[in-house]
Amino acid sequence: MEIERRIIKATWAHNGNLEPLYEVEDKEDEILVTFDLPRVSKENVAINTTENMVEVIAKMSNAVCWERWGVVQKKITFQSFRKQIRLPEPIEPEKAHALLKNGILRITLPKIRRKVLVNIE
Amino acid sequence: MAEVVRIVEEEGIEYNNPIVIEGLPDVGLVGTIAASFIVEKLDYKEIGHIESDLFPPVMVIHDGKLKNPFRIYSAEDGSVVVVLSEVAVPPTAVYPITTALADWFHKIGTKQPVIPVKGLPMKNRMDIDKPEVFAVGNNEDAVAELKAKQLDLLEEGFIAGTYAMMLRECSKRQISAISLLAQCYPVYPDPGAAASAIETLKKFVTSLAIDVGELLANAEEIKLKARDLMQQTTLSASEMQKGMEQDMPIMYR
Repeated sequence: MEIERRIIKATWAHNGNLEPLYEVEDKEDEILVTFDLPRVSKENVAINTTENMVEVIAKMSNAVCWERWGVVQKKITFQSFRKQIRLPEPIEPEKAHALLKNGILRITLPKIRRKVLVNIE
Repeated sequence: MAEVVRIVEEEGIEYNNPIVIEGLPDVGLVGTIAASFIVEKLDYKEIGHIESDLFPPVMVIHDGKLKNPFRIYSAEDGSVVVVLSEVAVPPTAVYPITTALADWFHKIGTKQPVIPVKGLPMKNRMDIDKPEVFAVGNNEDAVAELKAKQLDLLEEGFIAGTYAMMLRECSKRQISAISLLAQCYPVYPDPGAAASAIETLKKFVTSLAIDVGELLANAEEIKLKARDLMQQTTLSASEMQKGMEQDMPIMYR
């Protein structure tokens, strides 16, 4: 089983949205995507998928406010996480399912598989 | 030739056969979160830092004061020393920093174990409510101490990264070293794992009279603050053969 792990830079955006830390595992029959979503409850998560993409928008229970953020010591506030990920293989959106536990969101995305039995001559 | 890694101490520091807690960044940032919580709650004083041209050209500002991100703290009585970093250890610096630290531990007369506090990455961490802590000792005395304290030992497998080299370098200097490994998320900051590690550390450091409840209560904020370091550490770890920790050694047993 091949497992691919990718971590893409999680940036501090200035539009009130925070890009979450996330991990993509490309497994044999499915793609597992997890997101680290502190301060988020199940009711405030929206997950959208297509065959090639998954998008998560998650509102925090209370905004993150850094009074003295970075060397510029600027006040900055984040209210939600937002991330769109392009998937390495097509999946079946109707069969996707998700679990949020202890601030970690795990989305299971079954791959599109058309299996044909090959006879041995 | 100038040393590749330099340990810079304040003058007049007295050590009392210290036990050393090493919390350099690794999977789950377990050691870094634990070390940071310990020095804050027990009001340990900053006694030095680590310099190297191999480190990124970064300084950190706290409360308006310029600080080195690789810092060393000590308890007032010199019985506990804590090493931590707020930036990831570059893969090229692993050998020089562990060698320099082991030399320094020998110089300050560490008689008690050096304890690197790390994470044990678990794919199913999400399903684990209270992370367990496992241990590795670098010599017979260390293993005997772990057994006496009834800790679960890692029996087979590869270990990789700063703590693997720290155990080796301490062995070469006849310094007892024990690494504590708390089950953790592979690529997310894990205050829960850090809390488990601190609970186990209390078996070695009786003066660690701190309540991890506060650490757990503030877990979400810690995770938010730690995300940038987690990201740096994950990128750095991929070059340290950390993936080998999931591999099986070949030796016939």
